Order: sequence, then structure tokens, then C-alpha cells
Amino acid sequence: MDRPHSFTEYIFLTAAVCSGLLTAAVFLFLLIFSLPLLQNGELTDLLLSSWAPDKGMYGIYPMLMASLTLACLSLVISFPLSLGCSFVISALAPARLRRFLLSMVRLMTGIPTVVYSFAALFLLVPFMRNILGHGSGMSILTAAPVLALLIAPTMIIFFVGSFEKVPLSATLAVDALGGNPIQKLLYVMIPQAWPGIINGVLLGFGRAMGDTMISLMLAGNSVSAFNSLSQSARSLTAHIALVMAFDFDSMEFKSIFVCGLLLYIFTAILMLLLRMSTLCLSGKR
Amino acid sequence: MVSSTKIRTQDLCFYYHRQQVLHDISLDFPAHQITAISGPSGSGKSTFLMILNRLWEEIEGCSISGNVAMELDGELQDITSRALSARILRRKVGMVFQQPNPLPMSIFKNIAFPLRLASITDKNQVRHAVENALRQVQLWDEVKERLNDDGRLLSGGQQQRLCLARALILRPEVLLLDEPTSSLDPEASAAIEELLLSLKSQCTLIMVSHYQDQIQRIADLRFEIREGRFISSRSDCDGGNARRQT
Repeated sequence: MDRPHSFTEYIFLTAAVCSGLLTAAVFLFLLIFSLPLLQNGELTDLLLSSWAPDKGMYGIYPMLMASLTLACLSLVISFPLSLGCSFVISALAPARLRRFLLSMVRLMTGIPTVVYSFAALFLLVPFMRNILGHGSGMSILTAAPVLALLIAPTMIIFFVGSFEKVPLSATLAVDALGGNPIQKLLYVMIPQAWPGIINGVLLGFGRAMGDTMISLMLAGNSVSAFNSLSQSARSLTAHIALVMAFDFDSMEFKSIFVCGLLLYIFTAILMLLLRMSTLCLSGKR
Repeated sequence: MVSSTKIRTQDLCFYYHRQQVLHDISLDFPAHQITAISGPSGSGKSTFLMILNRLWEEIEGCSISGNVAMELDGELQDITSRALSARILRRKVGMVFQQPNPLPMSIFKNIAFPLRLASITDKNQVRHAVENALRQVQLWDEVKERLNDDGRLLSGGQQQRLCLARALILRPEVLLLDEPTSSLDPEASAAIEELLLSLKSQCTLIMVSHYQDQIQRIADLRFEIREGRFISSRSDCDGGNARRQT
């Protein structure tokens, strides 16, 4: 290996190590600031109780449940839509329509979430208020479809990408045997592309779990535990954003480091699952 | 056997993104014979085959002009016409590719796949047809114990015979072969050649090949294409000898 080459490599290596360390540093930072609460053995309290700072309760159970419910519900809405959309883009539509749809989907990924939330605030919230017949119209049911819209482009692009990786020889084989596009999709493309589909779903779920603005603006931010989807709720991310306004030294403020830590661990586990599933599935093939 | 014309192309031109790939090809292909198409790489041989089953329609940016008539079900039909569905045409015009392309499924399912596409679901009928197709390509004895194994685990020669069986299961009238032996060793090639000769009674074979000796051995007629233009046809191939051997 010649010198300039190794010098370039050295720079890249430093950059890679730095970004790796930065990720670890964020984790350490969260852990250190969470320690006071964790050492007092308050983790179970935090995880299982509700949020009532005036009574000395800093639990995040309702928020954790709200985050999971929102993410699951938005995935349930978004997955079939995204899969259908990726079918159209990958196999069913004529070439021009495919290109148009794909560029629209790519454009969607660039739209800031606050724009979605703002539009929904004016269009969806009054509509939900009328439908539900009570409350402000801000609820889990209001936030979930918008969140679904947010994660759809991520999933569609991932799905389309994995369909594109299906070898042309396999799709041409089906064409040459007189298969129609739907048969091609069902018998060859989906069986070959499903590791990518799973990855897309995990990524979409992670995005739904991590998004702040939509749940903050549309879910209503109620701290009490919810009994139905038509009720207002506060996600973990929205909780962190709201509690940021508290005094730095307060217990409220300290508790959000635990929230951050939980989100961090959750995302890390999701990413590890993603890597493992990709490795296992590609190994099998 | 008096051979009638099975396929007739007239002033056939092919374009890929406005670049002309084939120029005014007018040829007649006799029925129940092996016609070889030869020529250097990139001369448009494979493209020509893809016109005969309209596979080019699946590739973006392609267009054609001119006429292609094919005798199907005893009747001369314009296969470029929209009135004829590409799916119906492809069930009558089978194709075997240069690289064996078994689908990601079991040996049995690979062979039965065209039946599934054609909505033939009677289990006995399917099993019978699969066995027949495998016997026809002399693969039955080699795979009958492991029909549920993935088709991609077979050797190259076996895979190509599997693809041939898959193309034959719907009893096509025309079989297109795109350098079917180029990825195989001499022994496997010889087995495929032997098979192709035996198929002449069943269908019309059009084979792209650049192996002169192979053409000599099995083709009845040879067309040469260079830079997208038809150069010459020769019927002095040793197909007569081959015929006598079978």
C-alpha cells in the first residue's frame, strides 16, 4: 500500500472512530446523568408509575405506553399502504408513473415533520373533534395516521430498494414463462425481498418511536394513562421536549435523562436486531 | 418431413433508447427444425430472440418496427399485435437463457411453476406433467429422490436441464435458446444437444450459438447476424447427419 493511500485511510479511520466514540459518549452522558435516579433504585418506580411531580412521582409508564401504542398503530396503518405503494412502483405501474411516484416519495422524506403536524392541526384535528364528539380532537388516533404518513416514505424506499435487488434473471424467467406482474411479485419478488421488507418495517418502527413533533402537536400530551385510542396521550419524546422547560436541578429534569437512556437503548436494540436479521437472512440465501 | 415456415420476420427493426440495434431483418424459420443464429457478441442475436416472445416489452426503452408472423395453433398470427396477449404468446413460445435461472423454490415447484401461472392446479395432473418433463430432459432419475430440494442447489448442467424442462412443460410450439450450453462443461453440453435434437419433432427450435462446431452438429439452418444486420444463411450445416443419428 502506498503512503498517500494509507494517509487518506488514516483520516477516514479517525473520522470513523470519532463518530463511533461520539455515539458511545452520548450513551455515557445519559447514563451518568441518569445515575442518581437509577442508584436510588427508582428505576422500577420510574418505569411503572405515573407522572405527578407535585406528589414526588416521576414515572414515565404512560409515556412509554403512549410511544409504543403510537408507533405500533402507525405501523399498522403504514405497512400495508407502503407495501402496496412499493408494489406499484416496483412492478405494476408503467415506467413513467413509477419514476414519478418514486420521486414524489423521495420528496416526502424531505418534508419537515412540523409541516405534517401543522397541516394536520388545521385539517385533521377539527375533523377528529367532530368524529369523537368530545375533547380537543388531539388524541392517539389523530397522531397515528400522520405518523404513518411520516414513516411511509422510509418504508417505501426501503421496500422498493429490496425489490430492485431481485436479480433481473429471476424476474425475466417469470416473464418468459408467461407470468403476469402480480404473479411475478407474489412468487419471486416477495420471497426474495422479504429480508429487506423486515428491515424496512423495523426502520419505520424506529422512526415512529423516535419522532417528537407529530406526537407533541397532535396527541394532546396528557400525562395520565389512557384507556382508549381516542384519548389524549404523551409520547416519551414529547415528554422530554416538554420537561426540558423545567429547572435544570429539578427531579423532573433529571428524570428525562432516564427517558433519553431508554429511547437510546431501545433504538440500539432495534438496530442490532436489524443487523442480525440482515446477516442471518443474507447468510441463508 | 416437409417443413413449412413457422416464423416469418419482415423488415424487422429494433431500437433501444432510440439507438437502432437490428436493421431490416427479413427471415423465414422452418417448422420442426433447429435454426441457429450466430454472430459476434453484441450483434443483436439475443435481442432477436427476445422479439420472438416479446420479452423486450419488459425492458424499459425498447421499441420495434416491422412484422413478425408466427404460425400458432395452425394459424399465422402477427405476434407483435396488441390483440395477442404477451402472456399467451409466451406460453406457446418457451425460452431457455444463457445462464441457468432456476427460481428460488424447490425442484418440483420450479418445473410446476408454468402450470401454476396458467392456473392448472389439479395435483395429479401437475405431478404427472412434472415427471414427464423431467423424464424428457433425462433429469428424473437424478432428482426423483429430492424433488423438494432447492432448484438452485443442482449442478450447472442439471440446472439448465431443469430450465429446459420448465420451458417444455406447457408443450410450447417454439423453443428459443440463448446460448444454452455456454456455461456448461462439454459433457453437460453434449447431453443438452442430444435433447434439443430429440425435441425437433415436438417444436421449432431457434438457438443462438457462437460455437461453430455445435451449429455444425445440430442445426439444420444457420443465420448470421453482424452489427444488427442479417449477413448470410447457410443450410449446409451437418444437421442432416445429426438427424440420421437420432
